[in-house]
Amino acid sequence: MQLDPPTAASSIRERLSKAALALLLIPTAASTQEPAANQLDVTALLYGEQGRAQVWEPVVRASRLFGNGQALAGQLTVDVISGASPSGALPSGEVQTSTSPSGNVTTIPAGAIPLTDFSDRRVALDGEWNLPFGRFSTTTLGAHASHEKDYESAGVNGRFSVELMQKLLTLTVGGGINEDSVSPIGGTPDGLSDGTATYDRANSKRSTSLLLGMSRVLTRRWVVGLDGTRTEESGYLTEPYKLISLMDPATGVPVGQLTDKRPTTRSRSSLLASSAYHFSRDILYSSYRYYWDSWDVRSHTIDFKYRHDLEDDWYVEPHVRFYQQSAANFYVGGLVDGAPLPTFATADYRLGDLTTITVGTTFAFHVFDSPSQWTVRAEYIRQAGDSSPPGVIGVQRGFDLAPPIDTISVVFGYSLPF
Amino acid sequence: MNAVRGAVLVVLRLCFVLALPLLLAGCATVHPWDRDLLAEKWMRLNPCPQLRAIDDHIYFSKEASMGGQDVGGGGCGCN
Amino acid sequence: MPSEPATERVEDYFVGRFSAMGGPCSVLVDGDDRRAAEALVAIAATEARRIEHKFSRYRAGNPIDRINRAEGTPVEVDEETAHLIDYAVTCWELSGGLFDITSGVLRRLWRFDGGNKVPTRGAVEACLAFVGWGRVTWRAGTIILPAGMEIDLGGIGKEYAVDRAAGLIAAETSCSCLVNFGGDLYAGGPRRSGRTWAVGIDDPERTGRAALYKVELAGAGLATSGDARRFVRWRGKRLGHILDPRTGWPVEYAPRSITVVASTCLEAGTLSTLAYLQGAGARLFLKSQNVAFWIL
Repeated sequence: MQLDPPTAASSIRERLSKAALALLLIPTAASTQEPAANQLDVTALLYGEQGRAQVWEPVVRASRLFGNGQALAGQLTVDVISGASPSGALPSGEVQTSTSPSGNVTTIPAGAIPLTDFSDRRVALDGEWNLPFGRFSTTTLGAHASHEKDYESAGVNGRFSVELMQKLLTLTVGGGINEDSVSPIGGTPDGLSDGTATYDRANSKRSTSLLLGMSRVLTRRWVVGLDGTRTEESGYLTEPYKLISLMDPATGVPVGQLTDKRPTTRSRSSLLASSAYHFSRDILYSSYRYYWDSWDVRSHTIDFKYRHDLEDDWYVEPHVRFYQQSAANFYVGGLVDGAPLPTFATADYRLGDLTTITVGTTFAFHVFDSPSQWTVRAEYIRQAGDSSPPGVIGVQRGFDLAPPIDTISVVFGYSLPF
Repeated sequence: MNAVRGAVLVVLRLCFVLALPLLLAGCATVHPWDRDLLAEKWMRLNPCPQLRAIDDHIYFSKEASMGGQDVGGGGCGCN
Repeated sequence: MPSEPATERVEDYFVGRFSAMGGPCSVLVDGDDRRAAEALVAIAATEARRIEHKFSRYRAGNPIDRINRAEGTPVEVDEETAHLIDYAVTCWELSGGLFDITSGVLRRLWRFDGGNKVPTRGAVEACLAFVGWGRVTWRAGTIILPAGMEIDLGGIGKEYAVDRAAGLIAAETSCSCLVNFGGDLYAGGPRRSGRTWAVGIDDPERTGRAALYKVELAGAGLATSGDARRFVRWRGKRLGHILDPRTGWPVEYAPRSITVVASTCLEAGTLSTLAYLQGAGARLFLKSQNVAFWIL
């Protein structure tokens, strides 16, 4: 701010008089109002894969900031999922009949990827308690519980952040533990079996994760961050509904199916570098994540968002994301009938070579002088797997075993401070 | 596989060699009174945690990777 | 704990007394209904305490405290605080930087107890590094105060409270009232008797015992700046408690007491403070402003 030379004395009273009146004329109601301490956020996700899964997910979050600086938030999420997902089985070359654990029978044309119909509802509750300790550190404690008809999850997590170097550097450590229980409908099939032998008890799955992060202010316009996470999973990590086709050793035509079987431990690591850069008005967010795990999946994720400020807190934010992963070491397109079985195998396309490209845009606005804000985001996701996965033979080589999946997702958001 | 691991180690080391001095050294001093832009809510690295959570959920169900800035992921039978 | 207001009948009006904002406060109500008068006094007391709680820099958790403890991080303030800061910025601009709400940190160096201790040159120099509104970023309701700096709205808070209380009372009654918070006051229109409120200006040497002048007020504010009891003696000079943010020293050659009458108490108080900051130039300054004033 520049200080002008002292104003000519005679006009000082006039200007003070005006300024004093301006100050005194603010209405009482406005002047006694404290900054909003409560917030309600409602979001709804509509997600549709072409010919496959449809998801409708409303989320309601309420948070309250207390006078002592502590904040409490609670969140309820409901997921309603229906549609079909690839079973893992191979196309037949003839008309093929597939059975699903729920007993549905589908007849599909030759060359088409066999799908399993499913529908599920998931309800999740999350709570978060934020406690500042002193002036430079914050502790956040969280708890989570979710329920699906075949999956239960409960977890706790915590993180501690400390600001150093006059708040130019923030260091964060965090950790979490999740105890999940998987109870497949119709019982748990043995791994790499024909799926007829099942047992009824629930399978447990535990994951513990650790986070180390830092963010650093570099210039007046630039903030960067580096985060590393490590997650150890153990227990039942198999997908009970996924299948692997057994191929005729000569023709490649499917002659039977086996269930999926995955190792009982998985160590996942990620390293994320992110940046936010403020141009004169707009902001560019960019991030790169490298991920690797003990199943030999490696992935690169690059993400850019560009927030373009319109007038008055309105903005548009185009977004692109590029993701590429390599296959898990036990991923196969199918198994050859009669050959010795591997220890682990899956034909779940999500553990194969995979590329995902996302483009989309967010638009945020508010109506009149309301403090509430509306957000609409639409995204197009195209996912392409390995069209000729490892291990397939015969007729299977002629099929595109991973045709691209197109997905549209739309998110509506509304936040209201009060 | 060894080649991949070697490459990963190189990348990791590079990250630390490049990033640590950048992050820790006092090379950049941004005076408190120059923090007007940084003060904006939008200058956080994760300004919309709600949308971020939705994205994490979508990609967790479609891809093999997870992790980033959060702990306690998973908790979903979708993958 | 603040005492409950006490209301007594004097001639044809009521006087309600309470203490707030570091001093005795009174509200004069020209009327005959004791209950109505008590209610009006309560309104003034409530508003005085609200403003004191919200803007005192000694009270943890209020906007001023949050700003002063932010250590260089941005603090978003509510609308009322923002308006007060805007007003203070106007004063800073109009005074060429003499009126500065960041100069309060200098007060830690000085003991205005009538003694003769002054801080060292080095201490003042070091402290001046944390003074100067020009170093503060103030934009769109968000303030960024460099670490170590503090703001203090004490220089305008009391006058603001007087005008606010007078405004709230005027909204409730047609009775003429006078609000006096520690010597800064606002008087409403003419009383029923046709007379105006009369205010005495004390001899700064004998506060509360000898009114040297009597001022008739109707619909006007009045405020006094001075060093009645808060000063330090140095090399034979008497230095009052108002500090010059450029030097870190008390304003020299300032009058003992400056009283100004203006349309609001806030305006009167600011003019008297600005005049005081002119030191020996106070009289000249006020003459050019075309206001009624008394310099003692």
